[in-house]
Amino acid sequence: MFEAFAQQFALFGSAAAQAFGYPQVFVTMIATVAGIVVGAIPGLTATMALALLINLTYSMQLATAVAFLLGVYVGAVMGGCYSAIMINIPGTPSAAATALDGFVLAKQGHGGQAIGVGIVASFVGTLISILLLIFLTPFLYKIALKFGQWEYFLISVFGIMICGNLSTQSTPLKGWIVGFLGFFTAMIGLDAVYAFPRFTYGSYDLMGGISLIPALIGVFGISEILSVLQEDVPYSIENQLGKVLPDRSMVKQVLSTAVRSGLIGSGIGAVPGAGEDIAAWVSYDVGKRRSKHGHLFGKGSYEGLASAETANNACIGGAMIPLLTLAVPGSPPAAMFLAAIWLHGIKPGPMLALESPDFLYLTAVTLLIATASMLVFGLLLTKPMVKVLKINRKILMPIIVPLTVIGAYAGNVNIFDIHVMFIFGILGYILRKLNYPMAPLVLGIILGPTADISFRQALMQGQGSIIPLLGRPVGIVLMVAIIWIFISGVKNSRLQKNTSNNQPI
Amino acid sequence: MSQIKKTTASDLIMGVLLLAFGIYLIVESLGMKVFNSFLDAPGFFPFILGIIFCLFGIVMLIGSIRGGSVAATKATFRKDSLIALFLSPESKRVVILSFFMVVYIYGLIGRIHFAIATFIYLVVTFWYLKSTTWLKNIIISVLSAVLISAIFQYVFKIPLP
Repeated sequence: MFEAFAQQFALFGSAAAQAFGYPQVFVTMIATVAGIVVGAIPGLTATMALALLINLTYSMQLATAVAFLLGVYVGAVMGGCYSAIMINIPGTPSAAATALDGFVLAKQGHGGQAIGVGIVASFVGTLISILLLIFLTPFLYKIALKFGQWEYFLISVFGIMICGNLSTQSTPLKGWIVGFLGFFTAMIGLDAVYAFPRFTYGSYDLMGGISLIPALIGVFGISEILSVLQEDVPYSIENQLGKVLPDRSMVKQVLSTAVRSGLIGSGIGAVPGAGEDIAAWVSYDVGKRRSKHGHLFGKGSYEGLASAETANNACIGGAMIPLLTLAVPGSPPAAMFLAAIWLHGIKPGPMLALESPDFLYLTAVTLLIATASMLVFGLLLTKPMVKVLKINRKILMPIIVPLTVIGAYAGNVNIFDIHVMFIFGILGYILRKLNYPMAPLVLGIILGPTADISFRQALMQGQGSIIPLLGRPVGIVLMVAIIWIFISGVKNSRLQKNTSNNQPI
Repeated sequence: MSQIKKTTASDLIMGVLLLAFGIYLIVESLGMKVFNSFLDAPGFFPFILGIIFCLFGIVMLIGSIRGGSVAATKATFRKDSLIALFLSPESKRVVILSFFMVVYIYGLIGRIHFAIATFIYLVVTFWYLKSTTWLKNIIISVLSAVLISAIFQYVFKIPLP
């Protein structure tokens, strides 16, 4: 027991030395500031930023790449609160719930204070999620080590089912369709078992399959650019910022809310593909029902603001738990992080604890530095950030297009990947317009190969029978969960249809 | 009203597309080579996906037909509805911006230097969006094209297309 503890402590120390080493610590700080700026600008999301930046990490050492990407991730999720509060347009979708109370407070002249509370809440949320990441992940490694082919197949299906269920405001069916489309996308190219070309139509480019990064850049970059530029809506900024630093009584007032929301956010973050925006909405809803001042939510409540803002940042650490233990990302930006660490030879999953035992702690300590940087720079930069919000999006968004092109091209140095990126961008735009969520698509592309191979091997081992599954407790739990998600999703769809049919037109 | 019409019409179309796509997947996967047994054949998983897409398509079709999608689809495809849809400022902007991207990605990149291609794309897009004055447009386009190319090529050592 003591030996195991000492071993973990030594690993933690070695990871901390890497994270605090030069240049990692500076990279984390700079990346966090860059992330804050990116997150603050409406239309630029954490996912998009990470997708574009993955290729910059090619030439970096692993620790530097982790510092760079996690800094941007933490900063961007928090940065969304500036625009949500000051202009009522969430910089990132995860800050949408923040706008409900934040903008009301800004109109009352308390914008600075609202941002201050938002930043402190984000800090508390990320901190809680890092603690959970450190203490829960080793237990999950042990459970994941018992996973066989059936469990891997079922966790892949569970991932897109739950993600499809949670990530859409329309019927869950749309989320599931998109998730299975992701599975299909992953089938294109040479089959991993027999190297047989599937859906390649004689094209050598397609034989290599659809590369993950160009597809991600298309879905989250090009489609986002088109969505932002299609509307010609100017926005006005509340210029009265007021005091920024929240006083002690205010922090005390929102602390219990922040702790609860931190736990909710971390929990939702750990659900495959669920993401920061769902965490924020669920936490806001729970906060409203639990609070003594629930009736003030939406009318300028600091508690409401803290509920949303804590949870979306808490999602970050939570999303890392399934990512590190099962290679299943908990949110779309975490999917980008997964793609990036794959490039650096890190293979998340139960074997990670043996192959790269300090990686968990490297992630946690880097997140910790990024969180501290977010608190300090977030509060210091509040006033300049209000000026950043005035950047003309009609200039900014077209400039991102060449960046998406370079991002898609750099991985394989192949023009075909730019074409893939553009096609996925247009596909993503159309699906978004029809209320299809994008997160299950990404998850489907990532989990598709695992689902394919595991399912085939599991059936072969059982000689075509699914009876061996009955002897696997984790498999049974996953199976029951999938059936439950399916039934509840179908029920929700019906309920939604009935509601919309009864609405006056 | 029109939003609901558009949604149910799109559900009907999506239902048909999914059904057709599912059937295509089943046919295509059954035509794939079987090495040992169909259970581990390359076509097995796409075959299962084909069945799933067919089921999704049927569910969507039934749901949308029950929701009055046939009438909604007819209404959506009426001449005046189509004209309103395609000539709306948003649709026009998206089509034109996508066209600029197509020219940039398929027509310019790989044929001329990346910085020049980027400059042309930015100037034209800024001009169309009326982002700024002509002079500023040219200055911003030149600076962006040169800086992006130089930073990625020389600082990050990333090859340009």
